[in-house]
Amino acid sequence: MPYREKTAWLSLIAMAAAFGPYFAIVAMRSLPGALPDLRQLGLLAVAAILQMLILGAGHLFLRRGSPQDARTPPDERDRAIMRRSISSAYYVLIAGMILVGCVMPFSSSGWSIVNAALVMIVAAEVVHYGVVVLSYRRQA
Amino acid sequence: MMEGTISNRIRVLRFHHGEMSQAELGQRIGVTRQTVAAIEAGKYSPSLEAAFRIAQVFNLPLEEVFHWEAKATP
Repeated sequence: MPYREKTAWLSLIAMAAAFGPYFAIVAMRSLPGALPDLRQLGLLAVAAILQMLILGAGHLFLRRGSPQDARTPPDERDRAIMRRSISSAYYVLIAGMILVGCVMPFSSSGWSIVNAALVMIVAAEVVHYGVVVLSYRRQA
Repeated sequence: MMEGTISNRIRVLRFHHGEMSQAELGQRIGVTRQTVAAIEAGKYSPSLEAAFRIAQVFNLPLEEVFHWEAKATP
């Protein structure tokens, strides 16, 4: 498996592990109108720190497993896959932000807007790394 | 637009060049072993520059390494 496919898998796993529980908890609890909601802020901080920890540990593990591959700069196929994945994710992000913009005038809670934007950012990242994984799988 | 498929003789040429490994060929043309494997299997079409580099490694003209066959249109 190419090194860059492994790192894409790692990013997908880190996102699922950090933001899966975050969105599940957010969906189950009712959003308070008063700001600042420190509990919500703490939850977001935990998710972000957890993601960083998983990514940091995962990259260290992958680099130790194949240091030569980690040092190799991306070749033309890697760059082509990266371009394709970023352009796919861009459309998801733009569509998501337009959706958030449409929801914004009808929402009184700041956190519902923040969470809607977060969902779209995570969706765009899932598409980004998903396209990377699929492209490497198809060409393997 | 005309459609077609690109095939190549890289596997055979590697064999005739002292069973050159995919990693060695990749190193000589500046791509990873996995990319050479994908080119060889016809799953990735290399850039024109990479195709010329591959031909250069085997001291052959491009058309003796890569072939393009047009699909018959009904």
